[in-house]
Amino acid sequence: MTMMHNPPLMPGIEAIQHRFVTLLEERQGIIAQHALNAWEGETVEQVNSNLASAQATLHQIAGSAGSLGFGELGTCARNCEIEIIAHLDGPDADLAICPGELMHHLDLFISDCRTLIDTYDMPVAQPGMATAV
Amino acid sequence: MKILAVDDDPIILELLTQFVSALEGHTVVTAESAMEALERLKDPAVGEFDCFLLDIQMPKMDGITLAGRIRETVRYADTPILMLTAMSDKRYIDAAFAAGATDYVTKPFDPLELKARINLVDGLVKARQARTRKIFATKTLSPQVTPLEKGVELHEPISIFDVENVIDFTAMENYVQQLSRGSLFGSTCFAFSIREVGQFHGSLSSFEFYSLISDVAEVISDALSDHQYLMAYAGNGTFVCVTESGWRPEMTRLMDGINLSLARTELFDNNGASLKPRVSAGEAVRLIWKSGQSILDALGHAHASAEKACKDFENAQNDFWYLGRSA
Repeated sequence: MTMMHNPPLMPGIEAIQHRFVTLLEERQGIIAQHALNAWEGETVEQVNSNLASAQATLHQIAGSAGSLGFGELGTCARNCEIEIIAHLDGPDADLAICPGELMHHLDLFISDCRTLIDTYDMPVAQPGMATAV
Repeated sequence: MKILAVDDDPIILELLTQFVSALEGHTVVTAESAMEALERLKDPAVGEFDCFLLDIQMPKMDGITLAGRIRETVRYADTPILMLTAMSDKRYIDAAFAAGATDYVTKPFDPLELKARINLVDGLVKARQARTRKIFATKTLSPQVTPLEKGVELHEPISIFDVENVIDFTAMENYVQQLSRGSLFGSTCFAFSIREVGQFHGSLSSFEFYSLISDVAEVISDALSDHQYLMAYAGNGTFVCVTESGWRPEMTRLMDGINLSLARTELFDNNGASLKPRVSAGEAVRLIWKSGQSILDALGHAHASAEKACKDFENAQNDFWYLGRSA
């Protein structure tokens, strides 16, 4: 997938975009780790708690990406989130099963995150710009 | 307005600060958790807030619980609360309204929508400040009341506190408009009106009238307690209710039950005179296949039918002596 950067939505938003992309590096790592733990989990608790943790981080990305011009990434995060919720609320929630299709979609999402991180042009630091974490 | 924004995502807090600072006349204080927000509320150095923006999904304490905690404080009992929700949070919206939310904004934010909601809330804050001044002015200055401080108007949709499932009328309008097609299938709205409310309003002080409205709300709330519903005071002695549960209320039976409870409840004005409010019930209007304005029209129809039932009752009382006579 080619990640397009939409034009800034309002003045001053570049600093927040910058912080979002910097934070995305950490967040995609968290999601990947939880997805892997869920996949390898042997108990219902291990699978579901890791999926729930991945969902919480996806929820944050989905909530802000669209407002920062990364609508496509936000939609992808939202779809993965909805898929996890459906699994956790579904008939297989009491089984130690992590659906293969969900793992495939999480893998695509993480790959999209990487593409955005690698192609995003970090702006030159300017006075007043938010400091990246 | 001074706004407290609460979200566990620092990016959202930065976005909100950026959005709101672009609108003139507002300031934002942020908190990354519900606990931090509660600390801010206790801190006298921070001062009072005019509006809250609360994320629904937060770890430890979520935005719904936080809204409930904010509503428990006297100072913020009717301060507007906008919930920040993702589409996947829709399942929590009902609970948010029941906990005291005024409205909600979906994430990701549309700057125009956010601006419109904040401007609406700003108008609400200004109107409430004027109304609260009026209620408390009459409470302290009575019995020598000046015309300017005459009190709350009969038609004003006053906020009622501490009565279960009673929300603000603005919140009720926002609530019905967000009901999904699936929810509308089982939804019904209905209303009760206090008979001869104009006489109560004319003879009681603003504070006594407000207390009477709250007491009647409590009795109606008790009568509906076995069902899922939300209720709001729409002004003019009328309470509008919405149920989503598929329950089809039998209005006459409900009205009789409420009036029986009112008869058993001892209500007095400040001079110790007994008050005997009774209600009339309007039609139960189903919301199925309605959308947008027609949902609000249905709410209006339920409201109007309850007021008409009051008028019909009063006319029937007046015409009683003429029954069976011909001109």
